[in-house]
Amino acid sequence: MLKVDGLTKKFGELVAVNSLNFEVKEGQIYGIAGPNGAGKSTVYNLITGNYRYEGRIEFDGQDITGLPPYRIAKKGIARTFQVPEIFPSLNVQETIRVGSRFGARGGLDKKHSDEVLNFVGLEEERLQHAGLLNLLGKKKLMVGAALATKPKILMLDEPMAGSNAGEIADLMDLIKKINQQLGITVIIIEHFMKVLTELTETLLIIESGRMICCDRPEIVTSDPRVIESYLGDSYAEDK
Amino acid sequence: MFLEIVDVFISGLINGSVYALMAVGLTLVYGVTKAFNFAYGSFYNLGGYFAWLLLIPLTVVGGYYSVFFLAVPFFFIVGYLLEKVLIAPLRKYDDWEMKVMMLTLGLSLFMDFGYQSVFGPRIKSLPSIIDGTVEIGKVVLFQQDIVIFILSVSGMLCFGWVLNNTRTGMAVQAVAQNPAGAQIVGIPKDFIFAATFAISTIMVGFGGILLCQKNFVDPMGSTDIMIKAWVITAFGGMGSIRGSLYAAFILGMLEAFVGWYFGMIHVQIATLTLLLVTLAIRPQGLMGRE
Repeated sequence: MLKVDGLTKKFGELVAVNSLNFEVKEGQIYGIAGPNGAGKSTVYNLITGNYRYEGRIEFDGQDITGLPPYRIAKKGIARTFQVPEIFPSLNVQETIRVGSRFGARGGLDKKHSDEVLNFVGLEEERLQHAGLLNLLGKKKLMVGAALATKPKILMLDEPMAGSNAGEIADLMDLIKKINQQLGITVIIIEHFMKVLTELTETLLIIESGRMICCDRPEIVTSDPRVIESYLGDSYAEDK
Repeated sequence: MFLEIVDVFISGLINGSVYALMAVGLTLVYGVTKAFNFAYGSFYNLGGYFAWLLLIPLTVVGGYYSVFFLAVPFFFIVGYLLEKVLIAPLRKYDDWEMKVMMLTLGLSLFMDFGYQSVFGPRIKSLPSIIDGTVEIGKVVLFQQDIVIFILSVSGMLCFGWVLNNTRTGMAVQAVAQNPAGAQIVGIPKDFIFAATFAISTIMVGFGGILLCQKNFVDPMGSTDIMIKAWVITAFGGMGSIRGSLYAAFILGMLEAFVGWYFGMIHVQIATLTLLLVTLAIRPQGLMGRE
């Protein structure tokens, strides 16, 4: 469904992403992990057209290399950010409708927007200002705005960051529902290995913009290169 | 004395309404793009020259009706092209906001000296949109002032309606609040930037047409307007449309009363004093975010 081929991004002398290749299959939950500064979020920014890059990206059989972000969104690729990016003066319902109005093919779909509102569990906060929601609420709202664009693939950037155990369980349930009930392919960048090993079918580890390993989570987490460069010996011992 | 105060109050109200129309456009551009358009005052003059050209040398049929009708597409195209041809290429640089300021400052000087070259150094006067007076009790109002006030307020109401009820207006708000978030929900940021410049150019062009009837078209008059627009934008709070509205009317009143009581020579220093005191106490302006 999403095929990344030879993806390279340089910021001056710094090579943030270096000849990266990977393929996400339809219906998968695909994980990406790596140390801070490995280039994980940059990969998202490249896929969504925020920067120019070398290489080729194919989505749903179409070449989307070099397309601007709004056209990529309309093709069916949605994403979220580490820090929830919302529209503070809009209320919850309006925020989700912005996603539907501009991102979905066919324009504003109020029925679908309301279904999304219920799906992410924000129906009681529908008239509340987005800026006043707690962190979990803002994260759910950002996911809701992304779902309102009727995506085929949803890219989540560290959705668990700053969350407690209860919130992590809540968000993991939501991600499973998105994948299983809505049939949306999910890519997730995350540092919590427990989340990745439980949710994902394939896990890609990158360091300094390069792929170290890409396989099933249980194989990846046992790989000596991954333990050495990212997980550390203590993880292997705990395991 | 009372009648004089009422007269000054009405004058402040009328000036404030036109300033609001113009300043809201400048604030909109800053709010959306985070870049300050220093050529804004020169587009005010373009409004004056646009009306003068159509009304005096070309004696267009329909008078001011035609001027206003033609002004909308003319200023939309000018603003849109300004953004697409001159501003958009700068956005590939990290410090593009600063580059935009430098470019628009240069553009302002180019336009002002261009007006002198094309139209000559002398000021031009525009015919009144309407002549005559209206008496309300003992207060005598110029019909021209009433029309200017009505048109300015109508312009702002139209702007508010477009911003809150149209697809483009909602997209403008979304980009202003969160450019990254706006793009990922499918909003074409580049088009919205250009549309914002176009809308703001319409507003300042209309302001020029309305106020140049009272103040003449002066080829070097853009500096005064730019100072006013800057004071209103900073005083109201950078990027705050509501703040700009309040600031415009406060400035209009301040100008009218200072001019009446102390003399017109003290007006500019009074407005700048108000700005400096406000920013010293509240750096984000009346309604700006910290």
